[in-house]
Amino acid sequence: MHRSEVSTATEAATMPAPAAHSIAIVGSGPAGCYVAHFLRKRWPTAEIVIFDRLGLPYGLVRYGVAPDHTGTKAVARQFDRLFEQGGVRFVGGTEIGRHLTVDQLREAFDVVVLATGLSADRPLGIPGATGRPVPVVTTSTGTQPAGATVHGAALSGAALSGVYGSGRLTRLINGHPDENAEGVVFGSRVAIVGQGNVAIDLLRLLLMSPDELRGHGVADEVVNAIAAGPVRHIDIVGRSSLSRAKFDPAMISELAKIPNVRFLADHGELHDADAEPRDLAKRDVLLRLLATASHDADRTDANPGSDRTVRFHFGWVPERLEGAGSVDTLSLRGSVGSDSSLKLAVDSVLTAIGFFEAADAPLRRQSHESPDSDLEIGRLGPGLYCVGWLRRGPQGTIPANRTDAKMVADVIAAAADAGEFFPGKPGFAGLNLLPSDH
Amino acid sequence: MSTTVILYGTESGNSELVAEDLAADLGGDRDVRVYDMSDFDVADFDTDDFYLVVCSTHGDGELPGGAKPLLEALNSEQPDLSGIRYAVFGLGNSTYETYSQGSEIIDRRFTELGAERVGVYGRHDACDGSLPNDGAVEWARELLVLV
Repeated sequence: MHRSEVSTATEAATMPAPAAHSIAIVGSGPAGCYVAHFLRKRWPTAEIVIFDRLGLPYGLVRYGVAPDHTGTKAVARQFDRLFEQGGVRFVGGTEIGRHLTVDQLREAFDVVVLATGLSADRPLGIPGATGRPVPVVTTSTGTQPAGATVHGAALSGAALSGVYGSGRLTRLINGHPDENAEGVVFGSRVAIVGQGNVAIDLLRLLLMSPDELRGHGVADEVVNAIAAGPVRHIDIVGRSSLSRAKFDPAMISELAKIPNVRFLADHGELHDADAEPRDLAKRDVLLRLLATASHDADRTDANPGSDRTVRFHFGWVPERLEGAGSVDTLSLRGSVGSDSSLKLAVDSVLTAIGFFEAADAPLRRQSHESPDSDLEIGRLGPGLYCVGWLRRGPQGTIPANRTDAKMVADVIAAAADAGEFFPGKPGFAGLNLLPSDH
Repeated sequence: MSTTVILYGTESGNSELVAEDLAADLGGDRDVRVYDMSDFDVADFDTDDFYLVVCSTHGDGELPGGAKPLLEALNSEQPDLSGIRYAVFGLGNSTYETYSQGSEIIDRRFTELGAERVGVYGRHDACDGSLPNDGAVEWARELLVLV
């Protein structure tokens, strides 16, 4: 298809505006690409350049979505069109805040949109783990997502090895250039802390056979790290009750297809009185998994040694990690009534408890905020905007970032209509980049 | 003159791209208009026009966010859609039990309000990561020869 055909479709849907703005977008993940999409629709002749510190685009779609979720990854095919047919330019290998400053971009472009997301793993913040609990400061609404901040006392003692964040692991599994499997040891007993879809992604990937993992393009060194365990038992732990757990029911029903796994749970933890009708679907699907899987387990008795177990724990808060050098015990206490406690024997602990902005990130939103900023609409300053997780915190799926991008693109267009900025800056040519600069 | 009205309901943008491709492909031969279901006014249904509904499925067989305003308007305003002819192309993922059900929710409501679905019910399965666009264009070409 030719570009002219696409613009025919675009014109059929929206009124083209005559202004030819120059727009720089920092970050080529979903939020950045969706903003480019909506601004391209609005301004078919604008110069749009997306910068990314990595050589390949699409951020979380490429490096954060589990490799077997091809339907979700297919959204990248939409974004391909921006670059192939939409006239959007991708400038990879260029980190804003290191190779170029935000101010340099603002001098060259009429509009700059920051869409760098939040990729640092939220630390567990308990004795034996690295880091302290992170207060939620990045949300525009000021609301704190339930269960996002792990309760923890001041740290004592050194961090143990064998603790891995979900961001690091999903990047590793997806072949992110900054990650490697060196020193990653899962062992045979793994605890996953977290009850969201990312935690279920990690669970599913750990249960996949080496052949399946390779079939999804996972690198040999990562396949070997998973197969080396071999992982025999997984505890999946969260502070919420089953009805408040954040995973989607479809994520649980998907687990039923994995062979040779017995799914277990303490039945006392599966029922809570205050469940909403919508939450019942979650409970039903888990009960079905527990029933089906134990039936399957009977059949695998003929093949002892090949079965593996997964145990769900609801209503438990991580309290401390213990071990000599490497973690060997995860201590939990009950989240309702603090007198109950539980110790799990583990070879490794995987955390899937959310993301935040690293203190050493080259581009921090806060350093571009001013009294003039309005985060509710993504405005940081004149001609400077933020979108996606960087704007509103690490919540919401890819479609939620599309909605966010639509809102911010509308805000940008309204500001242009109101004469807040005018076309006229030189755009990419004004950066005077030599090929060696990026 | 009769217009082909493409109504898309989307959550992550795939249906929007399908709608744009359909418009680009069909636009040479006929008058085509594309609307996000969120932006379409149910008072604008016209028996002279032909409607192509492109709708994805979200979550556990639910409507995508972009289709919800249209369904709400159909439910609250109960427009008489007698004489309206339409075809449906549904997007989904067959690894879910609720494959392609988002489009079926819209289809059911249209029929209940008196509209008549024509032609083959088009579907695309995203489980292999393929794009729905080519299949949708082929589906629409074959369909529109008949109507």
